Amino acid sequence: MYYYIYDASLNDKKYSSSIHRIENRLMQLGISGRIEKLSLLKSFKETVEDAVKKGATTIVAVGNDNTVSKIVSVLPSLNITFGIIPVGPNNQIARILGIPEGEQACDVLSARITEKIDLGKANQYYFISSLAIPQSKDIIVDCGDYNISASSNHSSLNIYNINTTEKSGYGEKKRYGSNPKDGLLEVVFESPKQSHGLRNFFKKEYSTKSIFPLKKLKIKCSTNSLPVIVDGQVTFKTPVTVEVAPKKLKVIVGKNRMF
Amino acid sequence: MSLFPSEENTQGSETIIGQSVKVDGNFRGDGNVTVDGEVQGSLKTNHDLKIGVTAKIKAEVEARNLILSGEIKGNIKIREKTQLNKSARIHGNLETKILIVEEGAILNGKCTMVNDQIQIPEIKKASK
Repeated sequence: MYYYIYDASLNDKKYSSSIHRIENRLMQLGISGRIEKLSLLKSFKETVEDAVKKGATTIVAVGNDNTVSKIVSVLPSLNITFGIIPVGPNNQIARILGIPEGEQACDVLSARITEKIDLGKANQYYFISSLAIPQSKDIIVDCGDYNISASSNHSSLNIYNINTTEKSGYGEKKRYGSNPKDGLLEVVFESPKQSHGLRNFFKKEYSTKSIFPLKKLKIKCSTNSLPVIVDGQVTFKTPVTVEVAPKKLKVIVGKNRMF
Repeated sequence: MSLFPSEENTQGSETIIGQSVKVDGNFRGDGNVTVDGEVQGSLKTNHDLKIGVTAKIKAEVEARNLILSGEIKGNIKIREKTQLNKSARIHGNLETKILIVEEGAILNGKCTMVNDQIQIPEIKKASK
């Protein structure tokens, strides 16, 4: 049974016509199912677990990257196929999985091409996209046989399972962190370019970038505890153990997926 | 034999150790490795290794091919080809099959050229 979980933001009137078109298309394709709306009163974890109790075999997130991240974090323990209908702004995850926005996504669901993709795991929390530490000064990445540290005061540390940032995904020659089937997480240290003169002043490019493809690591801080933001949803304090969970999520993808 | 032919043709997952990053310990890469930062300990890969001008390496180094523009303090074992650019500095022993040296490169240490084709006739002479 299909179970559609709508993001709370879709209660806004501006989405009512696109939601109506999506529901019509699902009915035409014969894949309409139960609908549940996320709200402040009920946690997304409860919502997903209730759906499984009621017999859901496919759970579809209707919303944006935030909706996807919330639902994915509770799925690995359940034997569920996951789908996405992107609505509204901020839908990079769906784009990488080859799922178009709005009612066209219903056709992708109906075609039901599935892939088993990797997830990241920070302590016991699963994430689909990335983990970020805005200031990586004093951070030590312990990889077992060796340690990595940044010497720059302004460098940031990001760990990608799926890299949803525009600058790396589509603009650059060399893409990194965009293959959720490689069994690796990409650990990326980035330092902003030192701009000298007017020519470089408006350029937002990164000149010193370090990339480490890793399976498991521990993020430690040599001084105080630092915040680690997971998928833009949850914040942990260092130390945090991060590892890849290979082929952990069965997801419906489109033909135009980027991996 | 590839020596970083193009970014698209890299094997495995490429590791980049940038200028602002330091690696301490026994690093082993599964794909090509580019170093512009600091490495202390050992640096090994089954693929190609490219060391930039800003790199500071104090380590035992092993790779298939090497392009060196920076400094290595430690012994180096290269299975195929070593290319020393004009800013290259080696303080240690180098073992390689093929060696290309640009004017200005510094090699302070013993250089051993390993070549299977040359070793075979030497064995025949000895048996006479």
